[in-house]
Amino acid sequence: MTARALGRRRGAMSGTAWIGIAVAALAAWSFSGLDVSGSRLVALPAMLARMFGQFFPPDVEYGRASVVPAILESIQIAWFGTLVGAVLSLPLGLAAAGNLFPRASRAIKPVLAAIRAVPEILLAIYFVPVVGLGAFAGTLAIGLHSVGTLAKLTADVVESMDERPVEAVSASGGGSASVLRFAVLPQVLPEIVALWLFRFEINVRASAVLGVVGAGGIGGVLLNTLRYRAFPEAGAVVVLTVVVVLAIDAVSGALRERLVRE
Amino acid sequence: MNSIVNGMVNGRPVPPSRVRGRVLAAVALLLLAGLTAWSAAGIGVTLEVFLNASRIGRLVEESFPPAWNFWPRLVKPLLETVQIAILGTLFGGIAALPLAVLAARTVSPSRPLYWLSRNVMNVLRTMPDLFWAMLFASAVGFGPFAGSLALTVFTVAVVSKLTSESAESIDLKLTEAVRASGGNWLETVWFSVLPQVLPQYVSYVLYAFELNVRASTVLGLVGAGGIGMVLNTQRTTFQYARVTMIVLFIFAVVLAIEQLSAAARRRLV
Repeated sequence: MTARALGRRRGAMSGTAWIGIAVAALAAWSFSGLDVSGSRLVALPAMLARMFGQFFPPDVEYGRASVVPAILESIQIAWFGTLVGAVLSLPLGLAAAGNLFPRASRAIKPVLAAIRAVPEILLAIYFVPVVGLGAFAGTLAIGLHSVGTLAKLTADVVESMDERPVEAVSASGGGSASVLRFAVLPQVLPEIVALWLFRFEINVRASAVLGVVGAGGIGGVLLNTLRYRAFPEAGAVVVLTVVVVLAIDAVSGALRERLVRE
Repeated sequence: MNSIVNGMVNGRPVPPSRVRGRVLAAVALLLLAGLTAWSAAGIGVTLEVFLNASRIGRLVEESFPPAWNFWPRLVKPLLETVQIAILGTLFGGIAALPLAVLAARTVSPSRPLYWLSRNVMNVLRTMPDLFWAMLFASAVGFGPFAGSLALTVFTVAVVSKLTSESAESIDLKLTEAVRASGGNWLETVWFSVLPQVLPQYVSYVLYAFELNVRASTVLGLVGAGGIGMVLNTQRTTFQYARVTMIVLFIFAVVLAIEQLSAAARRRLV
């Protein structure tokens, strides 16, 4: 395998050269278009050190009183949004599986792709005027986007499952309800639940930024502390966010491993 | 539904391991239900708003039709957005490679370096892209420079993680061969590790580029350059017909670049 990879590499040399030229041209174009310069890059480490230096020690009292509640709100948004996404995506994802429902699949998949193409924060911009500022708008945004991603991944899992149980159930006279209940769900559900957990980890990060457009959670707090250059307070936001996200990743990752292994 | 009494489920005896399994499942379900109730209460979930048709109607009225004639003011910010994504991918892609090699268990030159780079990677991954954008905008000032830096860090986080996993699963016989013929650590990396992970690494960089194009469209919401800056102005002044126009523009560009990048990745792998 390795020998083949090496051989292919040598054969593709001229192609590689072209790609190199294209990348260099794109880089040059991007450099010229932006406010990036050598002198700014040289000054960067000192600027970062100055700011991050002021983050420490973080303001513990502010962390306790203002940061922790906002982070908890972000977690609530992520949890409930993931739940909404999971509940709605299960039937949609099954219907979008090409091996079970070919016609429905062709109709649903483009819709899911369209939902996925809009980032959560853009969805939140539309939900805020309808339901008002706050966590509920963020939850709806996370929920809707999760439907798009989870239904697609659910369909992928179903499409790559073992088809033999399906044949067995229908051969012994089972209708499509029995096929779903006895042949499809038992084999795909653990993997799908693992996907939900993984989506929850992603949604924690996504919900953390929704506060930027007023949709609740910790993002608005960070934006405000930085706007007023309240760096010890911003330090509390950053440190607590890192700790909480690491903890959630660890718990959720362990659960996922158990689910997929069993 | 199932009542568990003295090791009996619904009056029938079951092996103790199954009882424990069911008790655990019940506790887990209760925990999840509690988490859900806590979240719903904290968020203030209500279905009432959906019955408030007038608000939805007004939003739709204000958002459609999109302000088509707004497009000339979007071209330059959109190009800037793509440029931010390109620079972030380029810087981040380059920086990710050494970190990935150090963080791959089977290849890393020393335990402490492995441990350190692994943890750096994990901490980098905890922070969402817009958090980095806010931090850099605050450190270097508003503008696309802050955005490119944010995406650089984001790219390092994504690409180094994936590449280190690929590096851990390479064929170690080649590595041994280089070492046996007198190669030092750097030479084993150069002649055996890099050639083996290169195709996957390039496809991860392209994947990161897709993520970056998506992310770069909203960086401007926190002042880090690109079309998001225009979006933020129109959003805060409730020009939703223009917001819709911007979203459609973003949508088209994201889909187009994704198609291009996906095609390039297919050719690679």
